[in-house]
Amino acid sequence: MLTTKQTIMSWLFLIILTLVSVYAGKVLDNNLVFITTVLLIVFLKGQQITDIFMELRDAPRMWRLLLLSYVFIIPTAICAIYLF
Amino acid sequence: MSNTVIVSSMVKISESHINELLKNKRLPGDLAMWFFILAELTVFAIFFIGFAVAEQLNSEMFIASKAKLHPVAGLVNTLALITSSLFVALSVSAIHLGNVKKSINLLIISQCIACVYLVVKIWEYHFLFSIGIDIETNTFFTLYFLITFFHFMHVLLGMVILMLIGINTKKGAYKEDISGFESGACYWHMVDMLWIILFPLIYII
Repeated sequence: MLTTKQTIMSWLFLIILTLVSVYAGKVLDNNLVFITTVLLIVFLKGQQITDIFMELRDAPRMWRLLLLSYVFIIPTAICAIYLF
Repeated sequence: MSNTVIVSSMVKISESHINELLKNKRLPGDLAMWFFILAELTVFAIFFIGFAVAEQLNSEMFIASKAKLHPVAGLVNTLALITSSLFVALSVSAIHLGNVKKSINLLIISQCIACVYLVVKIWEYHFLFSIGIDIETNTFFTLYFLITFFHFMHVLLGMVILMLIGINTKKGAYKEDISGFESGACYWHMVDMLWIILFPLIYII
């Protein structure tokens, strides 16, 4: 079971990542770098929700990998569609 | 002598493997809810991929249409859903420890924050309608209204589920088995996860 501190730190990380992704749109000129950065942030946020909020970090590996693969595959597919 | 050492000495198994077994990995919530969550994620995956493809086929129109959206509204909604999820997660931790009153209070806070999402989303729709934009304006706005309204309905359902969980908690339903509580919480986190993909896709990129 996660501690309150771990959960709050994860929330803080999510907030910072959200603000970074919005800021990235204003400072990054290169389309490839911008889209890749934003979608990497999506994966990182999804990983936090999966492992910390959903508590799958301590769940059977199959379920954890299933959810993590979702937040990896979907942004990757979107990235591929936009860039190629 | 720790349990790990005792068991290791009786049977020749590595200490790390014993620790793994003792951790007793379990899937939080009910299995049925997880299949429901997977089904919902699949449906939204199709929407997200479809949106990305449609944007590549109509890039100029999508760029012009996205400029009409309020990115601040999208940002506020993201922050609201993430924060609401925080309080739901804390509520689950509280019920794990048997702290019923704290768990209910945290659920109430999470729902109040979720209402921010509802108000902002309704405001967004009202704003777009007021400038003559609706679901038939163009392909972008057809997809925008379909995807975001579908997500909106999931948020509403999630709020109903959490409200029922709060009521059941007050009645003492989760003293022995909290899988129902965890199921509702995981559904809420799924709704949050979907918005985390939706927000950059529709508002930022």
